[in-house]
Amino acid sequence: MATFDSVMQRPVGPRGMTVSTIAAIAIVAFAIVFPLFFDPLSGFLGTSIQALAYVVMALGLNVVVGFAGLLDLGYVAFFAIGAYTTGWVMSGFYGEANIHVFVTSTVEALPGIHMNFLLVLVIAALLCAVAGVVIGLPTLRLRGDYIAIVTLAFGEIIRVFAINGPEIRPFGENYPLTQGKQSITPIDQIDLPFLEPLNSILSLRGYYWVILGIVLVCLFVVLRLRDSRIGRAWIALREDEVAAASMGIPLVKTKLLAYLVGGAMGGLSGAFLGPFIQVVNADQFAFSFSIFILAMVILGGLGSVWGAVIGALVLTFVNNYLIPDVLNGVPGALGLDFQFSDLGFGVFGFLLVIVMILRPQGLFPERRRAIELTEGLDGPPGGPPMGATPAPTTTRGEA
Amino acid sequence: MNSRMRILASTAAVATAAVGLAACGGSDDEGSGGGGGGESASSVTVLSSLPLQGASKDQLAAMVNGIKLALDENGGKAGSVSVKYQSLDDSTAQAGKWDPTQTGANARKAVSDKSVVAYIGEFNSGASQISMPVLNQAGIAQVSPANTAVGLTTDEPGAESGEPQKYAPTGKKTYMRIVPRDTIQGQALLATLKKEGCTKVAVANDQETYGAGLAKVMGLKAQEAGITITSNTGVQPDAANFRAYAAKIKGEGADCFVFSGVTANGAAQIYKDVDAAIPGVKLYGPDGVCESGLTNPGKGGLPKALAERFKCTVATLELKSYPGGNEFLTAYTKAYNDDAPDPYAIYGYEAMKLILDTIEKGGPEKANRAGVLEGLLATKDRDSALGKYGFDENGDTTLTAYGLYEVGDDGNPKFAEQIEATATR
Amino acid sequence: MATNTPAAGPRARRFPLLNDQGRERAGQWALIILLLALPVYYGISDLTGDQGNLSRLATNLFEGVSNGTILALIAVGYTLVYGIIELINFAHGDVFMIGSFVSVGLFGTLGLTLATGPLGVVVGLLVCLIVAMVVTGSLNVLIERVAYRPLRDAPKLAPLITAVGFSFILQNVGLLWLGGSPKSIPDLIRAQETIATVLGVEISRADIVAIAVAVPLMIAITLFISRSRMGKAMRATAQDPDAARLMGIKVDSTISLTFMLGGMLAGAAGLLYALYQTNVWYFQGFQAGLLAFTAAVMGGIGNLRGAVAGGLIIGCIQQIADNRIGTQWTPAIVFAYLILIMVFRPRGLFGEQTREAG
Repeated sequence: MATFDSVMQRPVGPRGMTVSTIAAIAIVAFAIVFPLFFDPLSGFLGTSIQALAYVVMALGLNVVVGFAGLLDLGYVAFFAIGAYTTGWVMSGFYGEANIHVFVTSTVEALPGIHMNFLLVLVIAALLCAVAGVVIGLPTLRLRGDYIAIVTLAFGEIIRVFAINGPEIRPFGENYPLTQGKQSITPIDQIDLPFLEPLNSILSLRGYYWVILGIVLVCLFVVLRLRDSRIGRAWIALREDEVAAASMGIPLVKTKLLAYLVGGAMGGLSGAFLGPFIQVVNADQFAFSFSIFILAMVILGGLGSVWGAVIGALVLTFVNNYLIPDVLNGVPGALGLDFQFSDLGFGVFGFLLVIVMILRPQGLFPERRRAIELTEGLDGPPGGPPMGATPAPTTTRGEA
Repeated sequence: MNSRMRILASTAAVATAAVGLAACGGSDDEGSGGGGGGESASSVTVLSSLPLQGASKDQLAAMVNGIKLALDENGGKAGSVSVKYQSLDDSTAQAGKWDPTQTGANARKAVSDKSVVAYIGEFNSGASQISMPVLNQAGIAQVSPANTAVGLTTDEPGAESGEPQKYAPTGKKTYMRIVPRDTIQGQALLATLKKEGCTKVAVANDQETYGAGLAKVMGLKAQEAGITITSNTGVQPDAANFRAYAAKIKGEGADCFVFSGVTANGAAQIYKDVDAAIPGVKLYGPDGVCESGLTNPGKGGLPKALAERFKCTVATLELKSYPGGNEFLTAYTKAYNDDAPDPYAIYGYEAMKLILDTIEKGGPEKANRAGVLEGLLATKDRDSALGKYGFDENGDTTLTAYGLYEVGDDGNPKFAEQIEATATR
Repeated sequence: MATNTPAAGPRARRFPLLNDQGRERAGQWALIILLLALPVYYGISDLTGDQGNLSRLATNLFEGVSNGTILALIAVGYTLVYGIIELINFAHGDVFMIGSFVSVGLFGTLGLTLATGPLGVVVGLLVCLIVAMVVTGSLNVLIERVAYRPLRDAPKLAPLITAVGFSFILQNVGLLWLGGSPKSIPDLIRAQETIATVLGVEISRADIVAIAVAVPLMIAITLFISRSRMGKAMRATAQDPDAARLMGIKVDSTISLTFMLGGMLAGAAGLLYALYQTNVWYFQGFQAGLLAFTAAVMGGIGNLRGAVAGGLIIGCIQQIADNRIGTQWTPAIVFAYLILIMVFRPRGLFGEQTREAG
């Protein structure tokens, strides 16, 4: 168990803390003033908001897959539940009902259920935490990739329910579960206490700061959790389940807690994206979305908090900005008669392959994993069976 | 730990203050941006927002071709006003189809670019639900070349509660479409079924706004038309096949079958499976499947034996029979060497042509958002590639004549006869 | 490397759960009840209802089996690859799609049309089968070389992402090749023509062709793996790559061979799919791949028999659900079955015999 000890030691000195704290303050300050450099409706700002919302999901998925080692291929379920929460209680979808909770006069007059955004965030997080536990329960006895398929199956089942929602009316004829592939729209604009309601048609800056706030809260929670007792329990579970159990770690509780935290964050992000996108539609919740978020986590560096952040930012900008906005103009600028958009997802796939081959540990690997790899330990359990020569790592920086 | 908490708290405070500032800043911007109606310009921009990637890319490439053709014919000008065109994509690589976020971003891009006076889009009715309120608040004229969902413009049966008011928060119309809404197409299809002697009709829809909406309209009006609809099933486009479904509707005694949806959602497979299960069944479809991609075996369409029993409805009549249609056909053939253009090409063409003619008519002093919108809404009795039409008070086209198409010897849809349909409540 | 003792490998961790005999047996019974629930329920309702016989159910099951054979062929490819390098090969479904596209392209090149005589069709289709298998086999080997081999020592999930990347690339190739809509192709075998009716079940040509091609291929692959020298090398590598290497087995070429075999089966499945459905689509590989992966896991991933059984079971569930409940609910029912099977048998139907547990 000598190696176990060396892995568990955390070489973080007090001086390191101050440097990283200063860096963190600088980054946060920059992130706050960032939207002031752009037109309030700029497409780049819109993509940034999208990217930050995906950061929240990547952080949540990283808890499940990165920390606890439970491969989740159905993360889209939480996006769906979070977004549908806003569809249910932040829009005119249930036009028969007239429920208004802590909303301003603009929304007060509208039919339907309208609740304050902060309340909706809480409801979405709670619903998703419960869903996370429900999805987690059947996977408790499973290992490795069997967990992957069961979570995938849950994701698909939720999608089918979202699509067939109009047929499901448990609370009466006027209360269908969803609107299926037709959209629930519009969702109320975000309305925070003591502030004027935001309006994404006039300015995106408010939305940016709201999601930045959610990101900061989630980052704080995830960092605290990582360094807490439960965080160490997750990592012990990931490294060796049997050893972890024999050391007295309660497997059921620890696993379910990972699903719970991951699910709640997916719900927060979904509940933000509902009002931001202004629409909830079953087509948004395809399996490929789960893969998209998973790609962010792995590309960033599995288990690494900052990696998840970077992975989410990079992939969103590639998908929503680089390919549609920047590269689309390239053939035209070169005088070629050819639609770049025909190659959109091929290029996306090609970039995934290239980045992964160039940086197998991800862009910003977890420090613990980087140490393992440079010290020549084998990978995590169930890891590369042919781990004859450990790959060198070059980055080990992590706050 | 404590210091971090303090940082977070102060961060939150700064963020809150900033949000407040932004809220004020936002309303200032509206004065100059959204209301940019008074100015006139010698150069304006027209945007289109269409899903250029994924399953529907072929149809959309044809539509963009049509738009470009209209602009090229005019030499990039509308009278003395020069017109720039920019094609935006509302789909993303990861999704492979239209994406709500991207649609919202496109609409906002139109709002923030002061030179934009008109917006062609969206292709999908679901996407228009997102862009309509945004463009409405900025007073930008939106012309959809493809939306048919009832609720976008009216509250006729088939619309959801709150439609269409929720798409026009300012209360003023900014949205027009040059394709008739589903209410009319539903009636046209039912009239066709009645005429062809169908009694029991099975309907399958692709569950999307267009397909499901049209199927719903047909269901509501079937009894009135004297047709029994045995079942209306939503089908998954990615199902392996529909043999079990076909066996089920055979058990229901269906003698006619309608697929309400678009080609990309498994139309060919479902027609073939239904045909195999019920020999001699008559097959029908709306404009979403009325294209050579479905009917021409050379382009991967239905086999000839089956195509003989297939008929579909489109809101255009025979192109060669009226001047505008003939002109379009000649020009398109010349420009792209394709004498059987995808039906969507003509809608793209007409959308752009309409905008250009309107700008030209208004002259440079009306080449702004308000002027173009006013001009477009006032369109009456316009001779076009689609026939003679105008917009009613909802922004709907006044065209109601539907063409019934059958499959010609060359495998492409061929105009058979005209069906008159009206929207009744 | 000193700490990498064989005993600490993944196999050693399994024992506490396997010892639980009682739970295992209860799970087995629950599973049997579960699998029989749908057919028995609808069988009884057919017999007592106005139907009066079981021919509808028999039709459902027979069509399920014939549909399932195609899934089974793809699932075997998943399971082979998983068995040897523990990778969920997300690009596999798209390799299958390329197999369909290659076959369809060959129809044109070889001049196969509806007018071609029966002998011409048989010879032509055999050529298509061989070419499609060679192309997809080589493609799969190529993907392994480019996207998986460089990552063999990387964290376990890294190749999963390159697999997703390749899946996107292949889908884009398919999209450029035949366009965005599903394409209808000549119905060379008159797929849905009934050639016999047995006990009320109409047997169509497509069913016969699917079974006639798939079953021999599956027998061949099973024999190859269990009897041949190279098959033995594959099993050895799957069990312990390092030990296999020490025994003089060329691990790299054995892995390539595995990808070759998996790809070839996917190619055959591609041709069969094209003939069976008479439609091809760039996106067909995604859904089929997802279901085939489900089949592989349901059967116990890494296990050949399990993959075949999983494919057939999913085929039957699909047909029953399509016919009785409604196509829009089919995916939910298939996946609900998967979850229940996982609850009762955490290693899948034939789980014990996999390398992880064995």
